[in-house]
Amino acid sequence: MAPPSSAFRTTVTGYALYKGREGQYAFLLHRLTGLGTLLFLIIHILDTSTVYFFPSLYEHAIELYRNPIFMMGEIALVFSVIYHGVNGLRIAIIDLWAPSKWAIGFTRNAIRGTLLLSLLLWAPAGAWMFYNMLLNSFPEVLRSIGLGG
Amino acid sequence: MAVRTQLQPSFETIAWRWMRYSGILLIPLAWIHVLIQDVIVGVHKIDINYVAMRWANIGWQVYDILLLAFAFAHGMYGLRQVSIEHFPRARRWLSVVIFLLWIVVSIIGAFAIIAGARPELA
Repeated sequence: MAPPSSAFRTTVTGYALYKGREGQYAFLLHRLTGLGTLLFLIIHILDTSTVYFFPSLYEHAIELYRNPIFMMGEIALVFSVIYHGVNGLRIAIIDLWAPSKWAIGFTRNAIRGTLLLSLLLWAPAGAWMFYNMLLNSFPEVLRSIGLGG
Repeated sequence: MAVRTQLQPSFETIAWRWMRYSGILLIPLAWIHVLIQDVIVGVHKIDINYVAMRWANIGWQVYDILLLAFAFAHGMYGLRQVSIEHFPRARRWLSVVIFLLWIVVSIIGAFAIIAGARPELA
């Protein structure tokens, strides 16, 4: 009889040892971005609900999000939502309408395409959010390089 | 003797399909939300008056209810799939706990969206 944690240990060591190349990295990144977005989503639903249940607490919650560390997390969140969407669209289209496209060669190319498209969509949004983070938290940094402030 | 090959789709089959359709729908729904709130407006301009203003508009209330329903159900079903895959022996227990958490948090969120913000009490 296997100990209770053995299945979990098998999957974790499996992630480290399995040489699945693009498919495995896309699978891991899809799970990581999905679970990360969900963790934020649970907190976000509850903190936003304070506007009705505990209106005086909302400002404190928002104040936390204005912290530069949280704003960097927000930039990562935006990447997660974009990547999970682009990669998820690849999975949905192939699963629902073109299962023959699961051939490994096409899949590897499609995965590279999803990562590239995600980075292209994320770059302008991330750069703009990073600029706003500096503008609000470290305006002197922007002034020192002759921008905004 | 005739053999019946057409099976009734199971809950798991329906859910598998639903994850793909809801995911496609969430691309415009979640991306527009993130683009407006995180990128264009930004957390420095968001306060309780901003939320009150948005939820005074029934269009945005409907939008946020749809987002809550689809995004959170999609996410919680995904969490269930990942967790029962890693802990197959706790399948039933994990399914029940995740289902209850989904129901409770969804009701809290939907209640707040429908009832609206109360900036006068802030």
